[in-house]
Amino acid sequence: MPATAASVSPQAAYEWSSRDSGEVLELDHFSGNPPPPTPALPYGPGDDGDDGEAESRPVGNAVLGMLLFLGTDAMFFAALIGAFIVFKYGALDWPPLGQPRLPVMVTGANTVILLASGLTMFQAYRRIRRGAAAGLQKNLALTALLGTTFLLIQGYEWIKLLGYGLTLSSSVYGATFYTLIGCHALHVAGAVLWLLVVWWRATQGRFTAARHTAVLLCSMYWYLVVLLWPLLYLLVYLN
Amino acid sequence: MAHAHPISADELKQRRLFGEIFSAVMIVTGMLFVLLTLLIRPESGLLARLAFGVAALVNGILTWRKPQKWLGTLPLLYGTLWAVWGLQQGISTPSLLGFADFLVGFFFLVGGLGNLAEHHPHGFIGTHLISMDHKMIGKQFLTLGLLMMILGGGFALLFRWQLAYPDKPLPLIGASAQFLESGEPKTGMDKLWMEWLQKDESEQNWLAKNMPMGAVAPAFYNSLFTMHATIMIFFVVMPILIGCFGNFLIPLMIGTRDMAFPVLNMLSFWVAVASGVVMLAGFFVPGGHAAAGWTSYTPLAANAAWTGVDMGQVLWSFSLIVLGVSSLMGSINYITTIINMRAPGMTLFRMPLAIWSLFIVAILLLLALPVLTSALAMLLFDQTLGTSFFNVAGGGEPLLWQHLFWFFGHPEVYILILPAMGLASEILPVFSRKPIFGYRAMVWAMVAIAFLGWIVWGHHMFQSGMNPRLGTTFMISTMLIAVPSAIKTFNWLGTLWGGSIRFTVPMLFALGFVSMFVIGGLSGIYMASTPVDMFIHDTYYIVAHIHYVVFGGSIFGIFAGLYYWFPKMYGRLMNATWGKVHFWLTFVSFNCTFFPMHILGVGGHMRRIANPLQYDFLKQFQGMNEFITISAFVLGFTQLIFAVNFVYCMFKGRQVESDNPWRANTLEWVAPTPPPHGNFMATPTVHHGPYEYSVPGRETDFVPQTEKAAVPAGH
Amino acid sequence: MLDWLPENVSTYGSRIDFIFHVIYYLTASVFVLVSATMIYFLIKYRQREGRPATYTHGNATLEWVWTSATTVAMFALAFASKPLWGEIKQQRPPAEVEVRVTGKQFNWQILYPGPDRQFDTADDYQIDNDLHVPVNAVVHVHLNSLDVIHSFFVPQLRLKQDAVPGHNITAWFQATKPGVYEIPCAELCGFGHSGMKGTLYVDTPEEYEAWKLQTWPPAPAAEAAPADSAGAANPL
Ligand code: HEA
Ligand code: HEA
Ligand code: CUA
Ligand SMILES: [Cu+2]
Repeated sequence: MPATAASVSPQAAYEWSSRDSGEVLELDHFSGNPPPPTPALPYGPGDDGDDGEAESRPVGNAVLGMLLFLGTDAMFFAALIGAFIVFKYGALDWPPLGQPRLPVMVTGANTVILLASGLTMFQAYRRIRRGAAAGLQKNLALTALLGTTFLLIQGYEWIKLLGYGLTLSSSVYGATFYTLIGCHALHVAGAVLWLLVVWWRATQGRFTAARHTAVLLCSMYWYLVVLLWPLLYLLVYLN
Repeated sequence: MAHAHPISADELKQRRLFGEIFSAVMIVTGMLFVLLTLLIRPESGLLARLAFGVAALVNGILTWRKPQKWLGTLPLLYGTLWAVWGLQQGISTPSLLGFADFLVGFFFLVGGLGNLAEHHPHGFIGTHLISMDHKMIGKQFLTLGLLMMILGGGFALLFRWQLAYPDKPLPLIGASAQFLESGEPKTGMDKLWMEWLQKDESEQNWLAKNMPMGAVAPAFYNSLFTMHATIMIFFVVMPILIGCFGNFLIPLMIGTRDMAFPVLNMLSFWVAVASGVVMLAGFFVPGGHAAAGWTSYTPLAANAAWTGVDMGQVLWSFSLIVLGVSSLMGSINYITTIINMRAPGMTLFRMPLAIWSLFIVAILLLLALPVLTSALAMLLFDQTLGTSFFNVAGGGEPLLWQHLFWFFGHPEVYILILPAMGLASEILPVFSRKPIFGYRAMVWAMVAIAFLGWIVWGHHMFQSGMNPRLGTTFMISTMLIAVPSAIKTFNWLGTLWGGSIRFTVPMLFALGFVSMFVIGGLSGIYMASTPVDMFIHDTYYIVAHIHYVVFGGSIFGIFAGLYYWFPKMYGRLMNATWGKVHFWLTFVSFNCTFFPMHILGVGGHMRRIANPLQYDFLKQFQGMNEFITISAFVLGFTQLIFAVNFVYCMFKGRQVESDNPWRANTLEWVAPTPPPHGNFMATPTVHHGPYEYSVPGRETDFVPQTEKAAVPAGH
Repeated sequence: MLDWLPENVSTYGSRIDFIFHVIYYLTASVFVLVSATMIYFLIKYRQREGRPATYTHGNATLEWVWTSATTVAMFALAFASKPLWGEIKQQRPPAEVEVRVTGKQFNWQILYPGPDRQFDTADDYQIDNDLHVPVNAVVHVHLNSLDVIHSFFVPQLRLKQDAVPGHNITAWFQATKPGVYEIPCAELCGFGHSGMKGTLYVDTPEEYEAWKLQTWPPAPAAEAAPADSAGAANPL
């Protein structure tokens, strides 16, 4: 087999040996960024002269990948919401007789909490872009806190609803409610976990103004979770 | 680090990244297992779960960011145990929990292997199992697909037998005719059947349950065609067209070292394998495998009382949800790679059409699959948690499933054909020694097909009771798809026009693809017309259509691609003579198998029926059904020629003496053969489009994309 | 190929067959065109020494030609199909005979309104799989299902309509020729799907009267009553 240009460089060897020394590797640092583009050669005859295009990459791989993931996630919810709408506006009376009403006020407050967490997340990102590690930590912690509160309040409401006899199998009303809101809750939970990891790494001073892709990715996911909620609130809770 | 051959720096990084991900997963799973076990307290395997959780937790912490050869490999052992135990639990109990255990164990298995591979990147495991190299992953998907094709095809032959000779025992394994009449056993098989069938339901063996006396039972017939379709679509065509060709071709053809996210890429294959295992396990659970058709219409599929299938149906949904994750990883990878990692000069409109098709398909997957996933989730809840999304009794809506399924399902069928179109568009120019006709038109046609594919799903539901006005709009949008398809067809013809055509094996299959796709597409027009569809809906006319587009289209495309890129994949050529034999036998027996199905359809022959003789108006067609079955067996066994040729030439085939045996322009032929890690000796620079063949005033009739040659501007 | 169509015995059936034929000839000619061209090219332009391939990237006019040609053909087809579809599914002629057909694994439950032509009254008559209708009468079939989706299919009528649980769907037909036809279920509905079928009796007026007479015998008071069977069948 012919040899490849990409044989082990000393630098790679260094990284290999240095892996015990707890040296940190940023996610985007090796989630397969493109090869260092070789400088475009002078155009040959017959070139329409746009040989440069491939190098100009608006966003890095990690961010682009995340954007795409958010796209799928949105479609996933779109389908669930579609189903919900079919049932809500197809039903004679919604919620069906004998099924409890949903806690509009409390959840309204909860909505505010979640939206606020979106702001703190934005703050966190702005801080690290300016290299203010401390501000990053504070805001991340705050965001995680708000997120957790949101979850706790929801959990509490769910327990009450279950008490009132609203279950997955009690009616299609319950089914759609728990599936749709539950999926969102799971997303929030996952996002909080991730947020905690990022926060912990922030406390280790892993992020700088130059390199904080992990924060960016996490915040992107967080925005999706946050921005989805008001829509769900309008659809599911308010009539 | 003295190695057999050098290893790329980024591969080291990749393997290291996976090691970290894996440790993290171990820690998280460990904690979850302990917590959940203490919370739920499952009556079965409580201690086992605790032990597993603790082991994982400790193991994860100890290996966190430290390369530990043995500690890191340990999960391979208990992971395997856990997977096997889970599978066994899942099948015998039967419980979904068991299969969840299987998935976890399976991931630990992969993780353990990954750790070994990290320490021996050049061992078999490192290069063949836990490879992060897009080419090897492509080959892995290929193997998966071809093996699954034996299964899917085997099922087809099995139920084809039933259709031709209803309730007649299979030769060899079936009971003898005399035995069926007289009742006293003649052959050895008879005796066996006797004792098998004397046992009572519970301890009867698999054969006795599904094929009493060696004849396919009606319930089993339903699982057979359900799994036939499920396997062929999700485990044959998608893995090969998208998994194999997508992985192998994208980085090579756009001139980069590898996929954007190699770890994700590797995982996407193993997740697919896991989902495959779950899917196949369905055959061994009590109650048999899913039997509601690959479309799994509700409320039939949602309620075990109505299908008579309990766990099998659940596993079908579960497995496809898992498979969705795999495809998701793949498509994110493809899109990112194509957008971000093209070689210098590889502008969008210098990309080969194969890449365009895979790019568009990845986008379709990205948007269509999650819809299926949430539909499947609802179905799964209906099946297991007693919700009633699709059951009228609980206020559900049966048609909702059809809308969600086909909203995914129609884009899905274009997911099955677009890559094949892409492959054909590569092969036709090369062997006509001529630029593709209307490159941009071809691109925009694919975009149009992909776009229109979103607004036609209702054409599967014309007779479902859906609002007739909707029916009309869906009819119009559906018919419009003939337009971009026309553009493609005629541009393929245009490519042949004035060419210098070489009838190599890939070319033959590519030509076969074009003609068969046209037949399949034209039959689609009949169904698109709402009144006509009222008659041919759910008849063999549809079955004929399916197979012309999906076998004559996708599978012919696959064969074309395999014969064409085999030299680049394995550094050897496939035997051309046997290739031609394979093509002609396939082409003829394929048409003998599926063309008569149009006639059956016109005669009103319903699909999905186990025994046509139950209907007086179908008795006249029995001869035709026998003919179809015989042709199907010829078709099936013809594929063995391919199988042998393929496997033999992989090891013993004639070595290629050039990196570019077909004298083609695209970048993969610039790379060494077979391409090493990192593909190219140096990142190539692209100077013009991929189809510059027979440029006037040159001694060679091809201009590799990397060559700075005089080519009319704009190309 | 279309000679294999089952004999048509419904009013709109012939018009469905007509469109079927139109599409048949359209697609057939397209297929002949495509394959003939292809074979011609394959022979004419096969590799020959000293004849290089012509170097061209396409032809905009041609692209326009086949794009617009196909578009026109498709719209024509769509608008040929639309009115008939509307007639079959939207503007039903008023019913002369009505029945309720309910799918149930694995039978067609047929419910007749009886002499008073009212459903849910004492003289309703229900039976499995036997559907009697008079020839040349507009029949409304009210479809529903008790369990899963079935599909009411009568090949000779060119009629197919799913019976969906929770939906009352009305299909209609007007049979033009007396005879006995099968009513297979065309939608997969479980292990008994294969073999789920009813029988459609398109009766001549006389046959129909006879059938009505023995299904709803007049009260015994009336002389005409065929003795014993009537007494048994009639509650009064
Ligand atoms: C690869 C997969 C694939 C592809 C590409 C297609 C392509 C098309 N399909 Fe197909 N279809 C399936 C896979 C596919 N289908 C499957 C699996 C089912 C069954 C699902 C199930 O129920 O199990 C199905 C079912 C199906 C139905 C539902 C039938 C029913 O259940 O009653 C309909 C109805 O409209 C339909 C229509 C079409 C049309 C109009 C196209 C068009 O895209 C075709 C366009 C192409 C051409 C028209 C030929 C080339 C064009 C020319 C040569 C130009 C000149 C042509 C004219 C002027 C007419 N298909
Ligand atoms: C990609 C899709 C695909 C493919 C390839 C096939 C292939 C075949 N199909 Fe399939 N079929 C479907 C998709 C496909 N089908 C779908 C979607 C349905 C609808 C299901 C439903 O109603 O729900 C269907 C339904 C269907 C029916 C209708 C069943 C019914 O409604 O009752 C029939 C009946 O004849 C049939 C027959 C066949 C036959 C004989 C083949 C043959 O071509 C098979 C021949 C191939 C082989 C025998 C394999 C040979 C082995 C190899 C090539 C492996 C090589 C190995 C190595 C290199 C190691 N199919
Ligand atoms: Cu009822 Cu099929
Ligand atoms: Cu479709």
